[in-house]
Amino acid sequence: MTVRKVSLVPSALGRGVLAGACAAMFLASAAQAQGLKSYDSTKKDFWEHPPADWFLGDETQAQKGLAPDASPALPASMADLEKNLKAIKLPKGFKISVYADGVNSARQMAWGDKGTLFVGSFGVGTVYAITDKDGKKEVKPILKGLKMPTGVAFRDGALYVVDIDKILKYENAEADLDKMPEPKVVYNDMPSYVAHGWKYLTFDKEGRLYVPFGPPCNVCLAPTSLSQVRRINPATGEAELMAIGVRNSVGGDIDPRSGDYWFTENARDWVSDDLPSDKLNHIGKIGAHYGYPYCHQGDMLDPKYGKGRQCSEFTPPALKLGAHVAPLGMKFYTGKQFPAEYSNNIFIAEHGSWNRHKYQGARIMRVTTDPQGKNVKQEVFASGWLTGAKSFSGRPADILLAKDGSILVADDWAGAIYRISYGK
Amino acid sequence: MKLTRSINQVARCALLAGSLALCMTASRAAADLAAGAAKAEACAACHGQDGISPMAGSPSLAGQPEGFLQWQLVYFRSGTRKNEVMQPIAASLSDDDIRKLAAHFAALKPPPRGVNGAAEPAMFSVGQRLAKANRCAACHKDDYAGEKAAARTGGQREDYLLKALRDFKSGARTGGGVAAMADAVYPLGDEQLRALAHFMAHQP
Repeated sequence: MTVRKVSLVPSALGRGVLAGACAAMFLASAAQAQGLKSYDSTKKDFWEHPPADWFLGDETQAQKGLAPDASPALPASMADLEKNLKAIKLPKGFKISVYADGVNSARQMAWGDKGTLFVGSFGVGTVYAITDKDGKKEVKPILKGLKMPTGVAFRDGALYVVDIDKILKYENAEADLDKMPEPKVVYNDMPSYVAHGWKYLTFDKEGRLYVPFGPPCNVCLAPTSLSQVRRINPATGEAELMAIGVRNSVGGDIDPRSGDYWFTENARDWVSDDLPSDKLNHIGKIGAHYGYPYCHQGDMLDPKYGKGRQCSEFTPPALKLGAHVAPLGMKFYTGKQFPAEYSNNIFIAEHGSWNRHKYQGARIMRVTTDPQGKNVKQEVFASGWLTGAKSFSGRPADILLAKDGSILVADDWAGAIYRISYGK
Repeated sequence: MKLTRSINQVARCALLAGSLALCMTASRAAADLAAGAAKAEACAACHGQDGISPMAGSPSLAGQPEGFLQWQLVYFRSGTRKNEVMQPIAASLSDDDIRKLAAHFAALKPPPRGVNGAAEPAMFSVGQRLAKANRCAACHKDDYAGEKAAARTGGQREDYLLKALRDFKSGARTGGGVAAMADAVYPLGDEQLRALAHFMAHQP
């Protein structure tokens, strides 16, 4: 097996990566013919400050009003959370409860060795530590003023946090949560833009981090340092390219059976309500191309970038998850509390739609698969956070296994962590 | 002034509401508004007694979307948005304070039409074209009244609009979770920012 090493330049958007191909992102003449804006994407500046088109679409009459939802600014009250959870449907024998409230814009979660639950966040720039105090959960902001610290991971006593364009390491992180140590930058070859720059971190068994690098656009042929998943050794700063042709992947996990990385991927927007499907991918071979921006969902050529291409050139998804369901964090279930058939199943937190006239997702899916990624099926595990055609009571953003075999769910809309357990 | 209106609402509610439950909900909302009004006394010096700012560089808050107001206070409090005056004030606010303040300013009557005087036609039409080309209405709505986390830009002070646009452009302010405004404004030159501010100040 050949491992392709990434040739890493000091800046992720550095020299040599602006291949001539990206000038084709927006052909000025074609754009002008349609009365659209035109861009010069050959300059580094363009990729550091990408245009805002990804969330604005073309704004035709049919697309009008499909902009991303702003989540509530403040976390939901305990009374509202309890009311919301009454509407959540689960398989027989499971129940859901509030684990912690007041966790504004909660995203990825990670356990410390001493039982601290670390939680990243989106726009509020905060990392929280949740601990037990007098039989209650205490939610403490331990890091503030970071840029989109959505991703957190923990290993050998150290907390790792993504601060948009660098990965920070806080050694001995649980020693004093009121006074976090100065972090060390363990990796900084990352872009500084926000759009699809938010990311989760996943450790493999050997202590290397899987890190997605999304393109700062809806659909574009980005520089070769983007639209990919890297595997980074935080001890040495070395990175390997594990998957290319990947759009906005947020979460992933290691299959406990094979050690392979699986990851969710959010497909392009502005095609239609039902196309293309978001994806669950499996890295069966290193450096494979997953299709973006040429081919979506394994079998749909892009209306523009698909020209002269065939989907058979690319690695198809292990599973189509559905259009605009927005899969984020995912975990293989390795606990003992749930019935035996849940062993090694994948739970996926679906954040739910914005670019769809009637929202879907905002639920937790259960996926069964063999280690090779064959025979993959999904079913709804937890639902009920959609409260109308375009309204949520919550949006699942990540899943984490708890020591007792229950699972925790981070909700960045309601600003809370839930616990789903089985049995008594 | 606000307080009187709240009390009137309670009185009207007591007189007219057929349902007691409805009346209780409304009076609780009115009580919250009154609490917000009391809390907002301190804001008046810079943001105006009626939420319409008399001070250069300080925005009008009247009629801003509740979500937008809450978010800005949350950003000031968490240090994501930087401002020497607002950060220390926001640092002392609880979630509940933020809810009440936002409800108070959102319920105030937005700046009246023509609040910023007559528009300069040439500059206005440049701004109008820019607003269309940059699809400002996608988030700020067709009447620029804003919605959810997107600000009411129509009728805002022109000097403040220009300051906000320049702050987004320079990266001093990112514009929330998805950095929408920072991306939207980056390609525009200062002349264009001036025209946009002029156009927005004279909306709707």
